[in-house]
Amino acid sequence: MNLECSPPATMIDLIKVSKIYPPDVQAISDISLTVTKKEIVFLTGVSGAGKTTLLRLISRMEKPTKGMVDVAGMDVIKLPERDIHLLRRKVGMAYQDFKLLPERTVADNIAIALEVVYCPRSVIEKRIRELLEQLDLVRKYNTRTGDLSRGEQQRVSIARAVANYPEIILADEPTGNLDAETTARVMALFTQLNHKGATLLIATHDRSLFQDTPHRIIELRSGRILSQSEARENDSDDLFETAPSLLEEIEP
Amino acid sequence: MRFWIVTIRHACRNMLLTWKAQGMTLFTVSLSVLIFSFFYLVYINALHVGEKLGDDLRLVVYLDEEPAPPLQEEYRRRILKFDQVDRIEFIGQEQAYKRFEQILGKNSDVLAGVPIDFLPASIEVYPVRTLDSLARIKRFSDYLQTMPGVIKVQYGKEWIERFYAFIQLMRIITLLSGSLLIMTTTFMVAHTIRLTLFARQQELELLRLVGATNNYIRTPFLLEGALQGGIGACCGLGALLLLYNWISLQFAGPPTTMSLPTFAFFEWPVVVAIIGLATLLCIVGSFSAIRRFLHL
Ligand SMILES: Nc1ncnc2c1ncn2[C@@H]1O[C@H](COP(=O)(O)OP(=O)(O)OP(=O)(O)O)[C@@H](O)[C@H]1O
Ligand SMILES: [Mg+2]
Repeated sequence: MNLECSPPATMIDLIKVSKIYPPDVQAISDISLTVTKKEIVFLTGVSGAGKTTLLRLISRMEKPTKGMVDVAGMDVIKLPERDIHLLRRKVGMAYQDFKLLPERTVADNIAIALEVVYCPRSVIEKRIRELLEQLDLVRKYNTRTGDLSRGEQQRVSIARAVANYPEIILADEPTGNLDAETTARVMALFTQLNHKGATLLIATHDRSLFQDTPHRIIELRSGRILSQSEARENDSDDLFETAPSLLEEIEP
Repeated sequence: MRFWIVTIRHACRNMLLTWKAQGMTLFTVSLSVLIFSFFYLVYINALHVGEKLGDDLRLVVYLDEEPAPPLQEEYRRRILKFDQVDRIEFIGQEQAYKRFEQILGKNSDVLAGVPIDFLPASIEVYPVRTLDSLARIKRFSDYLQTMPGVIKVQYGKEWIERFYAFIQLMRIITLLSGSLLIMTTTFMVAHTIRLTLFARQQELELLRLVGATNNYIRTPFLLEGALQGGIGACCGLGALLLLYNWISLQFAGPPTTMSLPTFAFFEWPVVVAIIGLATLLCIVGSFSAIRRFLHL
């Protein structure tokens, strides 16, 4: 069978998932959602709608109260503790609160994601330089992340999330603190990774990110899917059209 | 290979992070090892001396008259009933006389005119040469005393008993200091590992999030424990060796009969065993800390 004709593989599959934080905060109610390989999905909604919670469920930082979560062929709920690393290596997450180590340098912070999979030092070095270049942070290579601005910290956290070429990238508010040009750089990086096969789930308030996007947009409200736009097939799949020059710069 | 490089790097980073506590732990472990190995060394050497003493350890049971062969058999049976007895020997009156004559050597002429049966017949009982038999020797002699026809039981000297008491004491002290070693090392190591765990809490959680295996996170702490144990034991034994050399120098002087010829340092296997034991204990300590305080 021709590979190109085969139906795209499911990367993320949520079936009737609910999450109640103790004692009774209903963060997600009864959400079903399927994301296929190489897809890009925007997740939006007002503050407190449940975007972060949804991403946390996918990366098994939380277990759902009800329902089924299937990620990259793994039953996330039944995954035993000792195998969680298998899931986490396939899922790169840029956290809304960054989760950087403030006492360590930018390079160290990014290196962590590569060290845990035993990358050789030279490869780690090369990958860090490449990412810093793409995110315009080269000068900050040896700066403690505690001394960076919010926007810089945000980019370091994104760099760490994607460093290991994860199959799934979960970006929680990735451009919250960024100006238009830097946002374009980040989106260009995401596009590049998507071309290489990554599936992306981007939670954001920033309407400009997905205004004219051909990709699927899911709007959450009080833990439910309020509306869902279908992906348009024929459009260009660039994430962000405003900066083609940047894309050229990043993707030689 | 990569795994061990990363693990060692992490362990070193941990130890630098809490170097004060590390120093304290190292000191405590060294001191405990020093105390334990000091007493153990004394104990081992005392045992050595004890074995030498065992050579002329024998009970002499004096009988009121020379036993006839059937009676000899009866004595033999009753004495050999005890596991502690290696062998026995009957010394007739005539044999006793001859021995005495030999001991006197050229002075043996003082025996002229003395009747050949002036010495009593006796049974020489050779106990098995273990320290336990040394311990029971008193009770055993009391038992022999109750046998019919026995005038008197003579054995070793009083100081053998004292010496045995000393060895008992050393054994208890060694055991106590051993338990001290176990408690301080495991406790101190668990304590420092806990400090490191808290100092790196944030990083450990992050490691888990970016896909580190449990082993990746845990092994550096076990290695840290092993290093503390290993290095601490080496320091402790080193100090003991210095002490030993110093004491030897003090006693060296001109070779007299009062020198301590049998006092020796540990054999290599014992040194290795002590280091291995301390290392193992510290690994156990860090393992228990991980079990209790590292929630992944
Ligand atoms: N650990 C928690 N314990 C209790 N309630 C929580 C917890 N985390 C989130 N919630 C609640 O769950 C709901 C959804 O939160 P979530 O963080 O998913 O929202 P969000 O869409 O990411 O919001 P924002 O856009 O502000 O980041 C909120 O009402 C929040 O208060
Ligand atoms: Mg959020």
